[in-house]
Amino acid sequence: MSKQINVALIGNPNTGKTSVFNALTGLNQKVGNYPGITVDKKEGICKLPRGVKAHIIDLPGTYSLNASSIDENVVIELLLNKNDKDFPDVAVVVSDVENLKRNLLLFTQIKDLEIPTILAINMSDRMAYKGITLDIPLLEKELKTKIALISTRKKSGIDQLKDLIANYKELSLSPSLDASEIDNVYFDKLRKAFPNQLLYKLWLVITQDVNFGNVDRNEVEAINSFKTKSNADLKRLQQKETIKRYQFINNTLKKGQTIDLKTAKDLRIRLDRILTHKIFGYVIFFAILLVMFQAVYDWATYPTDFIDESFASLANWTKNTLPPGAFTNLLAEGIIAGIGGVMVFIPPIAILFLFIALLEESGYMSRVVFLMDNIMKRFGLSGKSVVPLISGNACAIPAVMAARNIESWKERLITILVTPFTTCSARLPVYVIIIALVIPEGSFLGLSYQALTLMSLYIIGFMTAIISAYILNKVLKIKSKSYFVIEMPGYKIPLFKNVALTVLEKTKTFVFEAGKIILAISIVLWFLASYGPGEQFNDAENIIKTENIALSEDDLEDKIAAHKLEHSYIGIVGKAIEPVIKPLGYDWKIGIALVTSFAAREVFVGTLATIYSVGSAGDNEETIKKKMAAEVYSNGDKVFTLASGISLLLFYAFAMQCMSTLAIVKRETNSWKWPMYQLVGMTLIAYIAALIAFQLMK
Amino acid sequence: MNTLVQNILAFVAVALAIWFLLHKFGVLPKKKSASSKACGKDDCGCH
Repeated sequence: MSKQINVALIGNPNTGKTSVFNALTGLNQKVGNYPGITVDKKEGICKLPRGVKAHIIDLPGTYSLNASSIDENVVIELLLNKNDKDFPDVAVVVSDVENLKRNLLLFTQIKDLEIPTILAINMSDRMAYKGITLDIPLLEKELKTKIALISTRKKSGIDQLKDLIANYKELSLSPSLDASEIDNVYFDKLRKAFPNQLLYKLWLVITQDVNFGNVDRNEVEAINSFKTKSNADLKRLQQKETIKRYQFINNTLKKGQTIDLKTAKDLRIRLDRILTHKIFGYVIFFAILLVMFQAVYDWATYPTDFIDESFASLANWTKNTLPPGAFTNLLAEGIIAGIGGVMVFIPPIAILFLFIALLEESGYMSRVVFLMDNIMKRFGLSGKSVVPLISGNACAIPAVMAARNIESWKERLITILVTPFTTCSARLPVYVIIIALVIPEGSFLGLSYQALTLMSLYIIGFMTAIISAYILNKVLKIKSKSYFVIEMPGYKIPLFKNVALTVLEKTKTFVFEAGKIILAISIVLWFLASYGPGEQFNDAENIIKTENIALSEDDLEDKIAAHKLEHSYIGIVGKAIEPVIKPLGYDWKIGIALVTSFAAREVFVGTLATIYSVGSAGDNEETIKKKMAAEVYSNGDKVFTLASGISLLLFYAFAMQCMSTLAIVKRETNSWKWPMYQLVGMTLIAYIAALIAFQLMK
Repeated sequence: MNTLVQNILAFVAVALAIWFLLHKFGVLPKKKSASSKACGKDDCGCH
């Protein structure tokens, strides 16, 4: 039987930790959450020499073991709780060859926990370029560890790292820093009070706000013979610890590292000068956005149409092949239509995330954050608000949580309240289909009107977020202070594997997370649209036949299906809300889609696909887009016109149509007050904007 | 017979879908996992 060991990958942000994880595990990985919190947990399996298997855990990036965020707490909790099933047999600290000094702080802290620790120095391919030379044997001796010099880009050193992991039992457990050096008297008392505990672990229990399984702060404080110091004293000792560690690191690097600045050919400085320029920086960013949205339309058209047509054919085939009955109808009109409503959006979402992954991997995204900080400040937001606002383009939920690292409560609250205005990927399916339906196909300066409309919606979302922030900043009377620090990683050519894995992971999340909800709602909707109370529903056939004797059989069937839908359960609900939404240019069927998409915006298209499938008696060969385009009112006017389309786009740009975001805002603000303000405020803005747009354009 | 089976399958699918949605949006309580650690509790001090 092969043995399995736990390996924790730890490191500062932007050290290429995820690349090392990908290099070690390949496709043998899964993403989950830590119990009780929504912080990404990546795990994978790596085969090591001599049949040993390693269970690799990619921990969130952290600068030190002095936690200031939930992400960092996760690291400390795991490293201090031996009872945790994931407690590492060996820790691999991934560091960046260009930032060794800062990275070694975390290394020395982990080493002092007496966990076998390997130092993996990544990006070694940049050493010659940066004029860096390292004396590895000397560094190994000073740091009392084994070092793997690796480059995930050049695929070098990974085998050596695997060998070191397999031989982890040979690693020295001696600490880098004797904890008692921090304060002899205090640590002496501590040692006497807890003779069986590791001194540095006790120190972390006292100074960090987390639970560590078998040792907890209350236990320490309960012992009479030992009094903990005041917070101010503890902070002073923490600072002393950091100074001592840096003294040790400086001495070590003085001996083991040389940097020849003359050799360094720094393209980075020149690139930074252009990409963060106060005019060219914005022009370049704007141009990149244009290319991105043009690509979403140009590249996604063919695969999207193919998927749409395939599902329409499958639904038709199912209905014609299986024996007639309720379940066959559910399959053709509910399940297949619902799944089709999810699958058609895989191409645009994958393309969008491909661009985002390329921008992040190349190091450009950090420059965007830096660039946008100038704008943020003018609207009363923190520079740190840029991260939630930009990540809100993927999903508002992690974006709202990303606001946790904003120290000022006022700025954090404003960021949480305005982030859902930014265009999350769930809005993309709605935008893509409505734009394709109502915006003409021409182009301006080589850019299609459709791509320009899509980009305008992203800009509207972002602008609304910062204007709302400005107003909230004036309205909310909370005093606070904040500062902005951002790390600028070096520029890199994105690694294909990393980009591919990111796109795969994000697309999978959309398909499996949103897809499950869309499918379940499609099934419920099919039921509500296929059954109804009273004579008007149950006797629809006779009523229509009596009223329309002259009609052909096909027309009669269509009329019966439409009549039944109108008097089904869903029809009754839709008709009840129609007076409220009619001024916006929507009929009761769109009204149903608005109600169901409150669960998640992307449900909108799936809902219409299900309703239109049930409401037509003809074959189901028609695609979702064609069905929507063919939808007319009783007087023959089209339902989806430029006016109603723009009204819908604006409604979705502003409305808080996401139950999960409301739940996360409640959790982050610890009150229902803020999510309710958010819901009412955003819905009002959406309703007014849609109303004005439709009334002006109709 | 065929109609009966089709109806049963359809209604089971609808019931499962409703159950899933109620769970997903917190209307029904979620089952706590046995491996739940200190961090999952409100009083653990890490929230």
